[in-house]
Amino acid sequence: MAYKPQYYPGSTSVAENRRKHMSNNVEKLREVSDEDLTAMLGHRAPGSDYPSTHPPLAEMGEPDCPVRQMVTPTPGTAAGDRVRYVQWADSMYNAPSVPYWRSYHAAINHRGVDPGTLSGRQVVEARERDMEACAKEQVETEMTCPGLAGLRGATVHGHSCRLQEDGVMFDMLDRRRLEGDVIIQDKDQVGVPLDRKVNMGKPMSEAEAAKRTTFYRIDNVAFRDDKEVIEWMQRVWELRTLYGYQPHD
Amino acid sequence: MTKHFAFGTEKTAMDHFKLAMENKYGKEWGSNQQNDDIQAKTTKYLRLGYEQSPRKVEMAKAGADIAKKRGLQAYDPLLHLAGIPLGQRQLTPYTLGGTDIVVEGDDLHYVNNAAMQQMWDDIRRTCVVGLDLAHETLEKRLGKEVTPETINYYLEVLNHALPGGAIVQEHMVETHPAMVDDCYVKVFTGDDTLKDELDSQFVIDIDKMFIPDHAAQIKASIGKASFQAVHIPTVVSRVADGGQTSRWMAMQVGMSFISAYHMCAGEAAVADLAFTAKHAGLVEMSEMLPARRARGPNEPGGLSFGHMCDIVQTSRKFRDDPDKIALETCAAASMLYDQIWLGGYMSGGVGFTMYATAAYTNNTVDDDLYAATEYGWDTYGTAVGKTVAPSIDVIKDIGTWGTIYGLELYENYPTSLEDHFGGSQRATVIATATGAACAITTGNSNAGLSAWYLCMYLHKEAHGRLGFFGYDLQDQCGATNVYSYQSDEGLLGELRGANYPNYAMNVGHQGGYTTVLTGAYTGCGHGFSTNPLVKTCFADDLMNFDFVEVRHCFGQGALREYDRCAGERAYVIPAK
Repeated sequence: MAYKPQYYPGSTSVAENRRKHMSNNVEKLREVSDEDLTAMLGHRAPGSDYPSTHPPLAEMGEPDCPVRQMVTPTPGTAAGDRVRYVQWADSMYNAPSVPYWRSYHAAINHRGVDPGTLSGRQVVEARERDMEACAKEQVETEMTCPGLAGLRGATVHGHSCRLQEDGVMFDMLDRRRLEGDVIIQDKDQVGVPLDRKVNMGKPMSEAEAAKRTTFYRIDNVAFRDDKEVIEWMQRVWELRTLYGYQPHD
Repeated sequence: MTKHFAFGTEKTAMDHFKLAMENKYGKEWGSNQQNDDIQAKTTKYLRLGYEQSPRKVEMAKAGADIAKKRGLQAYDPLLHLAGIPLGQRQLTPYTLGGTDIVVEGDDLHYVNNAAMQQMWDDIRRTCVVGLDLAHETLEKRLGKEVTPETINYYLEVLNHALPGGAIVQEHMVETHPAMVDDCYVKVFTGDDTLKDELDSQFVIDIDKMFIPDHAAQIKASIGKASFQAVHIPTVVSRVADGGQTSRWMAMQVGMSFISAYHMCAGEAAVADLAFTAKHAGLVEMSEMLPARRARGPNEPGGLSFGHMCDIVQTSRKFRDDPDKIALETCAAASMLYDQIWLGGYMSGGVGFTMYATAAYTNNTVDDDLYAATEYGWDTYGTAVGKTVAPSIDVIKDIGTWGTIYGLELYENYPTSLEDHFGGSQRATVIATATGAACAITTGNSNAGLSAWYLCMYLHKEAHGRLGFFGYDLQDQCGATNVYSYQSDEGLLGELRGANYPNYAMNVGHQGGYTTVLTGAYTGCGHGFSTNPLVKTCFADDLMNFDFVEVRHCFGQGALREYDRCAGERAYVIPAK
């Protein structure tokens, strides 16, 4: 494609990081094995087959249909996987990602995903193996700091709570914690204990989080200082308002 | 940070906000062992469980006693989240905005708060009924003479009959006066001559209840017409529903006319009187809802924001402090629309209290609102009664300034961010303050709503999050119809309400919208928002709930000190 999309305005590091997340131009920072990821997600036993809700599409004798001809099924759809979820909570103290940017990342870079965006949590629902591909990308890259973000299916209010004394985001269900200099997780998304301790690696330092974050904060990159973003939002608001006056234009 | 003042007090609004945060996080409450710097970004989470809260301990004991007595499981806080009880972080108290009352959060649920219940009872059991059409029918159709003396006698009769006293038939059961002592009728008029000739016990004297310019405006709006302010018994509307209010009123009014004016109970002309006395001049507090929501009149879903603005009476005593008026209205509307309407009638459950309390506790909206109002007034040289014409530029300016101020308050005070631990709370708090300040500065409600929508856009962009799916939807699409008056698309702000198409499922918004609209009439220095009849009807100290100091009244309820409850059954059940 000759056209290179310009995803986001702004000249600050936060705006630049937002562009990186949207275009999936993110740095890989850690390895998490497929089995560990499966365990943390908590939908099936690590190593087991994907449960399915229907036979593989190739065996279903689907009707001839132009839409089916145009759209190649995702791997999970082709196999008949269940739709399952991955849900994140990102701290408002300079976690690298924020809910809308996790959604934009998923929607722009992955097919067959259904991102949901809330204030404390962000969920992606998709066929299980497709969801896992998206989750793996987010968990292994600079989109995630294990100290400031977490896989959380429930109780996500830690996103706006003060940090713990060790700089880790509060978790009512204590799904993961700092042990030595790394974050380990020993419960799944909804707090069911695991038979393993997943090593999520070192949390970002305060300085690194401040550099990689997509969150505007007055003590880092203040929203008021990103004039272009503010002006762009004002423009969106103004045009939508005027369009309401003149729907025929 | 801008220095700004809570009008009429020595402390700034920021001082009040900090004090509330100190009460919440800077000192121990119960046994939560908290003593934190309110601006620190970190804290020690002690995971003390529910026992740190005196109220939770009391509730746990009550639940255990109930389970033992009835032999069936009852409340047990250890059942929370499969054995992980509330209180993994500190359980903290709430300061009622604009007061020094500090309470447990549980005591702000309407089930636990008698004052909140009575506020809604007092609205639901109220209607306004015109007298003039009935008087015309009496004179022209029935040949009766209507004089101040006959009106006084009729009002005597009606104050006997309205609570449930028999008036025409001789062998009738009646309600016990002690069960219905909150029920009465008064009258009001813009006609000073008539007012002076009526027995003062029956009169809401507009000149006494309102400051002079407000009284003059309201009297001019009402004109020579006269109206009855009717409050049926709380117990009646609790047993039935809001639709019962006008039905109960109608029967008692009709029978009182028949008795007071010595009419034949059966002649056809009485039908004319019945229509004119009961229905033709009737103003319900709320409109009936469509069948799919299946509620009669005088239920909260049909209560327009404009009527809600007028029900709250703070403007009678704090004319020069539009922010105070907005904040008291904010409390009343947030409690009613979120806690009782959406949280009770529409959804069920207990969670909606958390949406509403953010808007009327801990002085957060207060600080944002006083700051943004001061910015608007200073920038445009405006004041109460002196507004600037709304324009895209003015709204953009105040909307942006107020939003950034509100966002930075959360960023500067991590305890405040923790207090409002859901984005929906934060979004409503900032948009409410920003929108209301814009309405106050421009005197225009739709301009205030327009600033609300700009605020939501900016907030979402700054923090990369807003509320939840359903919460965000309305705020993304509202700007396009904010100035439309086409049906099913837009409406004058004051005439929008809880069942307005784009707002009907709008958790956490409706109290905020009402607050914004309040700014329009208070910014202009007007005596009422939408309906002078509603404003006057509630200008009455005999009403059980205090509609001037809403937050203080809620606080009394939370402290279990509110003692003007009505509709209690204690009189007719065994004493405990």
